[in-house]
This record gives sequence, C-alpha cells and structure tokens, in this order.
Amino acid sequence: MKTDQEKEKRNWSEYCEKTLSKLSPIVEKLGYTLGADQPHLLGERFLIRPLAGGRKLVLVGHRISDGAKVVIKASDEKYGIAELARERLCRNTLEKMRFAYQVFHSPKELAFVRRGGFTIVVTEFIEQDSSFISRPVEKEFALVLAAFKAQEGARATTYKHKALVVQTFGEMTAADYYKKARQYTEDIVKLISNEEIYPELVAALAHASAALRDNQERLDQYGGFLTHWDFTPQNFRVRDNTLYLLDHSSLRFGNKYEGWARFINFMALYNPALAQALLEYVRINRTPEESESLKLMRLFRLIELIRYYASWLPRTAGDLHKLTSERIRFWTSVLCAVLDDKKISQEKIDAYTRVRGTLRSEDEKHRQKDLH
Amino acid sequence: MRIVLTTPLYPPDIEEPAHYIKELAKRLAPKHSVTVITYGYLPEEIRGVEIITINKKRLLPLRLFAFARALHKSARAADVVYTQNGPSVELPAALVTLLTRTPLVMRLGDTRASTRAASHFFLRLVKGFALARASALVHDSPLPKVEILPFQSKPTAALVEYEHSWEKHLEQLSSFFHYEN
Repeated sequence: MKTDQEKEKRNWSEYCEKTLSKLSPIVEKLGYTLGADQPHLLGERFLIRPLAGGRKLVLVGHRISDGAKVVIKASDEKYGIAELARERLCRNTLEKMRFAYQVFHSPKELAFVRRGGFTIVVTEFIEQDSSFISRPVEKEFALVLAAFKAQEGARATTYKHKALVVQTFGEMTAADYYKKARQYTEDIVKLISNEEIYPELVAALAHASAALRDNQERLDQYGGFLTHWDFTPQNFRVRDNTLYLLDHSSLRFGNKYEGWARFINFMALYNPALAQALLEYVRINRTPEESESLKLMRLFRLIELIRYYASWLPRTAGDLHKLTSERIRFWTSVLCAVLDDKKISQEKIDAYTRVRGTLRSEDEKHRQKDLH
Repeated sequence: MRIVLTTPLYPPDIEEPAHYIKELAKRLAPKHSVTVITYGYLPEEIRGVEIITINKKRLLPLRLFAFARALHKSARAADVVYTQNGPSVELPAALVTLLTRTPLVMRLGDTRASTRAASHFFLRLVKGFALARASALVHDSPLPKVEILPFQSKPTAALVEYEHSWEKHLEQLSSFFHYEN
C-alpha cells in the first residue's frame, strides 16, 4: 500500500518537474515568469484527482514588465485542456447571460493561448488585504451572503434559458442528486469495509440517502438556480469588499442551496459561528421549505465529501492514511449531526483539528497556508 | 370577494414581483377568495390560496395559451383580476378580461419588464393593450421585506415601517378593487 502512495506521489512530482521545465520558456515568451515556490503543487495535491481525468497545474507567476503577481493555469493533457476551455466558456457565458442580473466578479484574464501543446491561461492575482477566514465573522457573513444572493439572481427556468445555459454549465436535478448519492453510498460501503467507523457510517448513509429519495420534490422546487458547487474560501478572494470568483468550472445549474451547503459544511469545521449564522439567516428570513432544501443539500454534499476521502483510503499509507480515516470519522459525525438537526460539538472539532495537525505533512501545511 | 392575481414570477423565483404577489396573496387570503396564476413549477404554497402554475419549460406560444386558458377559467367567476406587468401575463390578462368583462387592475412593479417593453415594438404594443384594458394602475409598492440579520440588532423600527407600508398599500388596493379593507 505504501508503494502505491509513493508511486503516485513520485509520478505527480515527475509530471510537475517535466511540465514546469517545458512551460517555463513558453510563459517567459509571453512575458511572465514562474515563481520559485509553487505551493499549489505540494502536499496532498498529488491525491486530488482532476474532475474529468486530465491534469492541470495552477501556478503562481509574475509579469516581467512590472512584476505584478499573476496566476497561470496550464495543461497539455486532453481533459485538462478541456477543463480550462470550459472554465473560460463558463466565465464568458456568465457575463453574457441576460438573466444573470447581478454581476459576478472575476479576475481579469491577461492571456489565453495555445503554445507548444499547452493551453495556458494567465489571470491577474487578486491580492487580499487579509485572508477570508481571518476576517471578523460579521464581515465574512456579509460577504458570503452577498455572493449567494448574486448566484441566486440567475435562475434558468424558461425554454430559452435552458437551451442557452444547460449546454454550457450543466444541470443537476433532484433525480441526479439522488442517483449520485446512491452511487457514492455504494462506493463508500465498498471502500471502508475495514474501517472501525463502518456500522455508524453505513447507518447514517442509509438515512441520508432515504431523505434525498423521499424529498425529491423539495429539491426540485428550488432547482434551476446558478450554484457554485465548490464555494469555499480557496475558490474566491476578496479585495475592497468585492468577492472574486476564481474557479468558474464549478458553476452549474442545480439546487439553490448546493453552494450554501458546501460552504456551511466547510465552515462547520473552520468557523462554526459563521455556519450557524448562515443557517439562522435561512431559518428566520426564508421559508421552512428552504431550510429543508438546505438540509437535504448538506446531506448530499457530506455523502460526496466522505466518498471523496474514502477513495483516498486504498491510495494512502502511514500518517496520510490515518489522517484520511480521521477525516472520514469527523465528517461522519457532521453527517449524523445534520441528520439530527444538531451542531457538531466543539470538542469533536478540537479533537479532530489536533489530530490533523499532528498527521499533516509539512508540505501540506505550506499548501494550506495560502489556500484559504 | 374573488380575486385573481396573475404574475410572471412567483417564489421560488426571487425577484421583487414574486415576493410581492406572495405577500399580497397571504395578506388578502383571510378575508377573500384568492387565486394566483403564475408560470413555474412547484410554487411555494400559502394556506387558503389556490395557486395555478403553468410550466415555464414549454414553448412560448404553448405556455401563453395554457396561461390564458387557466385565467379564463378563474376570471369568469372573479370580481377582479390584478396583474403584475410583464408581457407573458399582460397579453393573456388583457385578452381574457376583455372576453369575460372582468375588471383588470394592473401593477407596474416590474421595472425590468417596463424597460424591455420600452425598447421592443411588440412588447410595447402588448403593454399598451393591457394598459388600455386596465381600469386602474398601481404604481406604488410597499417597502421591501426587512431581513433579520445575525450579528445585528433586530430592526424593530424598520419592521414596523414595513407593516405600515403594507397596510397603506392594501388600503390603496381596496379602493381599486372596491372592497372593504
């Protein structure tokens, strides 16, 4: 097992090294240099499988003319290139959508070129005065609420809307969510059969899947909204109180609360007060049906997250394997808490973060520092 | 009184006209028989209000026809049809009330629809037809819903003002609808 992890890590390192040496002269000709430190290539990055199967590098660089910091995304693999092209298409379509009344802010694109087999996208780097999670919770709340409201401003409901957007962004219906949840549940059951958590997790998964199966109408009621399914601080940056979306490939049409759910689940660990504030906001200001919809989406996103970490189990060894098991255990506790309409206890959060701190590699800690 | 409310947008749609009609229906329902006809699928329900939805995913002529047919059925027995502006409801509302002789009151609350109509010949024509049919026009709107935000004190004064704006609005509507508020 250890060999598999090492082999995968070595493959990733070799790929990065080879790609960077080919890419460096190309970007220089475009007027940019690559930074010496590339934190986004380190740590657990080698385990993060790309969405469609193609690898892409996310790099930090500088513009030669004025030293301005830039972000360079590049790939020379079919699916990686397709993902970069799709992300660009999503960004451009978003700007053209007549029914996306609110403005979505994106970092300015400085270059999109095909050179030497690579597709390269250069965008401005949004310098933040402070990271999102270091801001006061009141400010965080105001920023994300504005971002969610902006996403909700776009709803694809008419025949004409559908033809325009579904092709570009894709759409998830209640039936799709349930189908995926069922598939993830089957995968998890196979992947974790040797884990201590197995009985508790299997029971929670059955309960959550049943909720998604029995409440499809509630999910569809709030369907057709633009949503960012990976709306976490690593995918946006804030400058002058404006939120810039960094990853446009994760936009799709689906349940209004899909993005909320991802964010609230994330904050259940990183900032429980913010998670609670968002849940309270929905409970007080919106209909009870919307709170139900949010709960269902949280269940779906938790099943997905556990499936994601479960897929790491056969690929990891040593501390990383132990950490993966701990992650599954922690997110199972969150899943159970959501099912019971409760908060995850601070003791469980503290215990998990303590263990995570001891098991995380130094490289991963370095990668995480810049991520949020 | 039997009141039919027609609107292109209704919650889960999030725009102002959607929330306005839902709030209005909720406030009228205790004293009147209220029917909402709208485009959509799985609308948010209100106790005591009949909500008829026309699937937005149909082709435009088909959904307009379906809307007109549903409205015709309800308008025959109604005392008033109150319509939100927007071509997809203006056209069926004007045509149907012409046939059924039901009084039509029109609210010009959707500014975006008005802007679009101003720059589009056919939409302008539809709006003109509906305006000509309407026995009264409503320009005023109650205040937007007040949100109660975490980390902030409860906006008591704003909530009172909001309630007051609705009372005033319902009073204005009662004079157009000819009912006792």
